[in-house]
Amino acid sequence: MGEEGGGSVTLLCLTASSGVPLFCRSMGAPSKHQLPFSVIGSLNGVHMFGANLDVLLTAACTANSHVVWRVFHNSITLIVLSSEEGASDFALGRLLDNAFSAMVLILGLEELVNVRNIERLKKDLRVSGGIGECLEAFAGAAESRFGCLVAGGRLALATEPWWQLAPQELLLLSWLVGSLPPHAARDYPIYLPHGSPTVPHRLLTCQLLPGLEACLICGPRPALHTVETELVPRFWKPLLEPLQACVNPQPHSLPPGTTLPPGVLAFLLIHREQRSSQSSVQPPGSGGEGLSPKHRARALRHFYALVAARYFPWEGSPAPPQEPFQAGFPHRARHCYVVSATHKAYAIHAPQHQLFLLLAPHVPTFALRPLAARALQRLTGDAAC
Amino acid sequence: MAVSPGSVIVPDWHKSPEGKEYLATILRKNKRKFFGLIERPVLPPQMAADTASYKVFVSGKSGVGKTAMVAKLAGLEVPGAHHETTGIQTTTVYWPAKLRDSGRALIFRFHFWDCGEAALKKFDHILPACKEKADGILFLFSFTDRSSFDDLPSQISRVTGGSENLVKIVIGSKFDQFMHTDVTERDLAEFRRAWRLPVLRMKSVNGPRLADGRTLDGRAGLAHVAHVLNGLAEHLWYQDQVMAGLVPAPQPGTEDTSRC
Repeated sequence: MGEEGGGSVTLLCLTASSGVPLFCRSMGAPSKHQLPFSVIGSLNGVHMFGANLDVLLTAACTANSHVVWRVFHNSITLIVLSSEEGASDFALGRLLDNAFSAMVLILGLEELVNVRNIERLKKDLRVSGGIGECLEAFAGAAESRFGCLVAGGRLALATEPWWQLAPQELLLLSWLVGSLPPHAARDYPIYLPHGSPTVPHRLLTCQLLPGLEACLICGPRPALHTVETELVPRFWKPLLEPLQACVNPQPHSLPPGTTLPPGVLAFLLIHREQRSSQSSVQPPGSGGEGLSPKHRARALRHFYALVAARYFPWEGSPAPPQEPFQAGFPHRARHCYVVSATHKAYAIHAPQHQLFLLLAPHVPTFALRPLAARALQRLTGDAAC
Repeated sequence: MAVSPGSVIVPDWHKSPEGKEYLATILRKNKRKFFGLIERPVLPPQMAADTASYKVFVSGKSGVGKTAMVAKLAGLEVPGAHHETTGIQTTTVYWPAKLRDSGRALIFRFHFWDCGEAALKKFDHILPACKEKADGILFLFSFTDRSSFDDLPSQISRVTGGSENLVKIVIGSKFDQFMHTDVTERDLAEFRRAWRLPVLRMKSVNGPRLADGRTLDGRAGLAHVAHVLNGLAEHLWYQDQVMAGLVPAPQPGTEDTSRC
């Protein structure tokens, strides 16, 4: 199905349980080319066939195309086919994450996890595709490859090159945008600590709505005035209503109905490949038990700092200063726990994720490990980890 | 300057019953309403009014209170301590006003461009970007900093650089600290005579807060800055009329009558 020449990318979205196609989108030439239903069916079929045999099919390569599958929250299957040269599993995986995030941004996770009315969902999804495409088009028109949307100080959606910035830069940029006093637009000279530490770039931010900013990293052009008065109205004004619907902040980014094992006071889940994280100091079911949210946050931060510095290797950070005791072993720590008077804490280093849990002191120490494993399973919706 | 205060815009209209109805579109429960770039105040159909948008560049020495003034006009928290602004930041302020001649209500949309002095010196693109398609420039000085006042003439010629059609207004900030003022009434009168530019005064301090003790009282805040917003509206609107040939251009040597 790979097209000859320029290369194209096709994104398929289906319901995970029934395989009903929700949408199909193509980028690159020739865009009008619709994928036949039988091909969509086979692509989903081969993935489901594997799943039934407890085999997780993640990616496949043919001579001219690259396919990546991913299921989100056991509810939505996204499949991407790319015939672009240099398409990597990583880049395509990121594209799937972005596509799903765009859907969440518009519809909220609940709509996507508990699909009640498929026809309605199909209609709603047309808009979310709109936002992702709009961001690409907006960035393109501003002659920039780096564009993102920051909602409530958090990175909600970004173009592929934005994700490819160093993890630290990603974080710093979202913090910068989230921490500045509100302004309609900004033109900030910035130096990217890894990508361009000596040559300044321009960070342009445009407040589409209070709490929602479209950001670009640009060179000398375009002028802020042009972006503000021409590009923003042209690209974003048509999306006013869906954007308004998506700026409502969520207390925690968990699907409704997700429960954590009893005794979990706070968690931090790091998606290693996506370089993103989720956290809450008031996860569902934790109640007002024990420490206040502020203390939970502090305890979790301390625990993270201890474990990340000493026990878990982390890509991009300098090698942890190992204790002589630990350096004597050929293996690395995968689990780690701390017991104190006010709380217990447990960390798991899995291939895809790192999970840091803060637990109530009454949870028996011998139960920490199975409890943490169960929490990871529930948070990631993945039986394999 | 041929515009005397109150000759174009009805000065206390925002206090009238009709004005209050329009003001309600930029307030929500006595708090200022904030609008993103793709939003605007929503008026009921019977109150339909045109929007007049203006880009206004805020110029002045470092530390005179450019950012504080814009925050005060926008109903945002005035920063307690001085931080140099890193780059350009723009702020949109909506202000309903009534034209004296036609009796027509208008929504003015001021788009303030504020940038830090250091950034302006370090990066070449910033000053041209601020001046590009600007309708007006505000020259700020601080009542507590004599040198910022003395610097005005050189600043005006440096920044304006021959752009004749720009509205130029001088604003004296930190007027709340008039006890410590370094700039006297006589200085101001002389300046006005020499430059024939309108001079406005601002108290860039946070106004009263609502019952919760935290949120700024939007209505009171607007009342504090109404004279500045009306002054801006007046000069910008008048300039537009001159440009469109609807009113005669001010004759050189016209006696300055502006007071504030």
